[in-house]
Amino acid sequence: MPNVARSRIRRWRIFFIVSGLLVIVLAVGGALWVAHLDRVVTREFQGRLWSIPARVYAAPLELYVGAPVSANELEQELRGLHYRHGDPSAGAGIYQRVGNAFDIQARRVRFIDELRLPERVSIHADASAITGMRLSSGADLPVFRLDPPVIGSLFPIHGEDRLVVAPADVPPLLRSGIKLIEDRRFDEHHGVDFYGVLRAIWANLRAGRVVQGGSTLTQQLVKNYFLSDEQTFGRKATEAVMAMRIEAHYSKEDILVAYLNEVYLGQDGARAIHGFGLGSEYYFAKPLGELEPAELALLIGLVKGPSLYDPRKHPDRALARRNLVLKELAEAHLIDAQTAKRALASLLGLRPPGGSYVPAYIDLVRRHLKRDYAEADLAAAGLSVYTSLDLHAQAAAERALTQNLQRLDARAHVRTEHLEGAVIVVEPNSGDVVAVVGGRDVDASGFNRALDARRPIGSLVKPAVYLTALESGRYTAASLIEDAPIELKLPDGSIWAPQNFERQVYGQVPLARALAESMNLATVRLGLDLGLPKVAATLEQLGLESPPTLNPSLLLGTVEMSPLEVVQVYTTLADGGFRTRLRAVRAVLDEQGRPLKSFKVQVEAVAPPAAVYELDRMLMLVPTHGTARDAAARLPRGLVIAGKTGTSSDTRDSWFAGFTGSYLSVVWVGYDDNRETGLTGAAGALPVWADTMASLKPLSFDPVAPETVEERWIGFNDGLETTATCGADAVKIAVPRNTQLPANPSCISAPKPSVGDKVKEWIKSIVH
Amino acid sequence: MDQEYRALRRVTAVGLAVSLSLLLGGCPSPWVRPEPQGGGPVIPPQPAPAPAAPATPPPPPPRPQAPPRENHLSPATRSLVTQAHTLLAHGDIDGASSTLDRALRIEPSNPLLWIELGRVRLVDANAHQAEVCARKALALASGDPATQAQAGRVLIDALRAQGRNQEAQQVESQPYMH
Repeated sequence: MPNVARSRIRRWRIFFIVSGLLVIVLAVGGALWVAHLDRVVTREFQGRLWSIPARVYAAPLELYVGAPVSANELEQELRGLHYRHGDPSAGAGIYQRVGNAFDIQARRVRFIDELRLPERVSIHADASAITGMRLSSGADLPVFRLDPPVIGSLFPIHGEDRLVVAPADVPPLLRSGIKLIEDRRFDEHHGVDFYGVLRAIWANLRAGRVVQGGSTLTQQLVKNYFLSDEQTFGRKATEAVMAMRIEAHYSKEDILVAYLNEVYLGQDGARAIHGFGLGSEYYFAKPLGELEPAELALLIGLVKGPSLYDPRKHPDRALARRNLVLKELAEAHLIDAQTAKRALASLLGLRPPGGSYVPAYIDLVRRHLKRDYAEADLAAAGLSVYTSLDLHAQAAAERALTQNLQRLDARAHVRTEHLEGAVIVVEPNSGDVVAVVGGRDVDASGFNRALDARRPIGSLVKPAVYLTALESGRYTAASLIEDAPIELKLPDGSIWAPQNFERQVYGQVPLARALAESMNLATVRLGLDLGLPKVAATLEQLGLESPPTLNPSLLLGTVEMSPLEVVQVYTTLADGGFRTRLRAVRAVLDEQGRPLKSFKVQVEAVAPPAAVYELDRMLMLVPTHGTARDAAARLPRGLVIAGKTGTSSDTRDSWFAGFTGSYLSVVWVGYDDNRETGLTGAAGALPVWADTMASLKPLSFDPVAPETVEERWIGFNDGLETTATCGADAVKIAVPRNTQLPANPSCISAPKPSVGDKVKEWIKSIVH
Repeated sequence: MDQEYRALRRVTAVGLAVSLSLLLGGCPSPWVRPEPQGGGPVIPPQPAPAPAAPATPPPPPPRPQAPPRENHLSPATRSLVTQAHTLLAHGDIDGASSTLDRALRIEPSNPLLWIELGRVRLVDANAHQAEVCARKALALASGDPATQAQAGRVLIDALRAQGRNQEAQQVESQPYMH
């Protein structure tokens, strides 16, 4: 008996010890788990909440007497910058227009080089340009710039673009509306709304299916941070604990603002739209603060199911959902009955594609920040990034690309696939990138063809061959070369026999014509005479980043380049042999307005100005006498341009690269899957280029002739010196001063070239 | 970087006379126009063993000489240059440089602005970039000897600052410098 009792006591003792230990283990484990979750969630929250993204600005519009800005355009600009019409003496951001006279109270603005205080200015403009500018004091105002438009925000380090909304910028209706619709007891609960959960369970039981969720805003926030839709019990428990930990650490205000900046509101191709700031831009192209109640209600309604209620894909569903939200807002007296009535009757009001939303450009900004700035500097909060984006040029390029691709698609009626394209516009003198279009769906932030599509450049390579020739001192634009069939045995034993595009042979032609008409045979012969390594070296000098393969087909442009790389190469040609580094970012200022130190190498002299000038004069013949003649019909009369068409083998890629006195632009058109397009550079890319350029009011290309060269007239077909008025095919070229050119005897009385020279020329042409 | 800062200390902000003692060697040498030794006038590069050039060339047809050019600043760019000078006088090199960038966006091919930018680069102890700006100004000033002389001055200073005295001397002896 005592034995039994003793063993019973012992058993109880063991039981207590074991269960005590178990409780301790569980308690410690639980505490550790909670502590772990606490750490994870606060780190995430802290990281997001306190990182203020960099604001990104487009280039400000410069105004001065003569600037090509009409009165109407000036007013559009002001409205785009949210200047109101009214009495300017009432405050900054107000303007008055009487006829062509503007009275503007400009805002306080931080520019790269100065902080401008509010300023009252009067500006006169006519139908084409600015005609006068004064300060209200009557003082002279030689130059004045408008506020730089904000084009987005980004975190320079991890690269997300997000329009983060500061607490002060949250519209009151959004603040109360989101609580009303998503979490009525937000201000009372501690992260988990047990009452709400019970209510949801009861409602779901009664309905026999899930009709209500009991997630608080805090729980939704946690779910957004850790991105999983798993509905397991463990997941829910983790979420609940994390929500309570966040509530323990942060104020309701912090949590609400974080939620508004984090919540998922839709999908833009590969990119998720997070936060009401970006949502507002994405759906309405307006800052959050300017949304009407109906628009806010649409966004609030989207939270429940961004794809279910996607207003672009399911406008009916989205409208019903929006109106439901509006009715609830009215019932809760958050909006008055009249406002509700008006809002209920309004259309969805989605923005048209385009506008100030420029993902392809921001993509380049991000890369240039990485390239030019130290990562540690970019981690600072509240940076301002000043870019060279010109919103007009961007809109013009987007319009030109989408319109022309639609037209070209309609022609190729059998295609199911759509043509794609890319456009980049830069100012060659400064290297400023003013526009980037990465594809025909200009709003999508997916594959950025302007930066990442590397394609064979076809005849765009030829200017490098001809520049090599001019630089060698052995050729001028008037030198004759042979356009005749050629066969080459390649190292792998195969035979390479290039052909001209039209499968014709042209015989003896001057360099100027061979380039203008993009003759393959003449170019291959010329390039082989110069030597492949020399041509490759020229390409690298001009800005090609990696050395090309030294295959003879390099001379016809089998080398693959992205539109951005082509821009870099052609910028050097447009800028007299000076290679200017392309830049999307002009400066980054910290919160105090001090510039961050950038690794800036700006300009290098890489090619002799004289040879580049001679080449440029040849490139000016491409649009007048060569493959780009169709451009003229789309351009302002008398505009002088220079450029080159490019078509890769079997018309898979259609290119045009060209420049005026103000801008350089490169256009690529092709299929993503690399199929044949049936389009030459002139048929596909050139119209896009010309339409873009025509909208930009460019100056004519008018390079300054170096003193070592002079302009002369030759026959386009025979290369003989002539005069401007003699013969139908006289073209102007540039040659080194005092070059002896064989003259056309019927235009200039000079002895004909001797027979000996002709024989020499002939021997030369067959030797090479 | 060090070189730049060392040099920065030595250079007085507004007095653009960069002294010979500033031996900033080691900068990559950009393309240099082939120039005859001995400081003679520039002779144009000889054209090809000219295809079909007659043995005794006939006098070329008279060609009109380009009228001498003169470069000016517009009121807008002049005011920006003045502003840049003020910023520079206050030691704000970045500001001066940005203001000149602004002027260059209005008149991208005005050699006078490239000369100004070259001077700012000299003050910034970036002799290599100063050299490139000066060369660009020289190219754009073709036919305007007065502007060429100003550009030449900046080029000479930039070359000397890099220890390239011989090249500086060659520029000194160019006709536009007299």
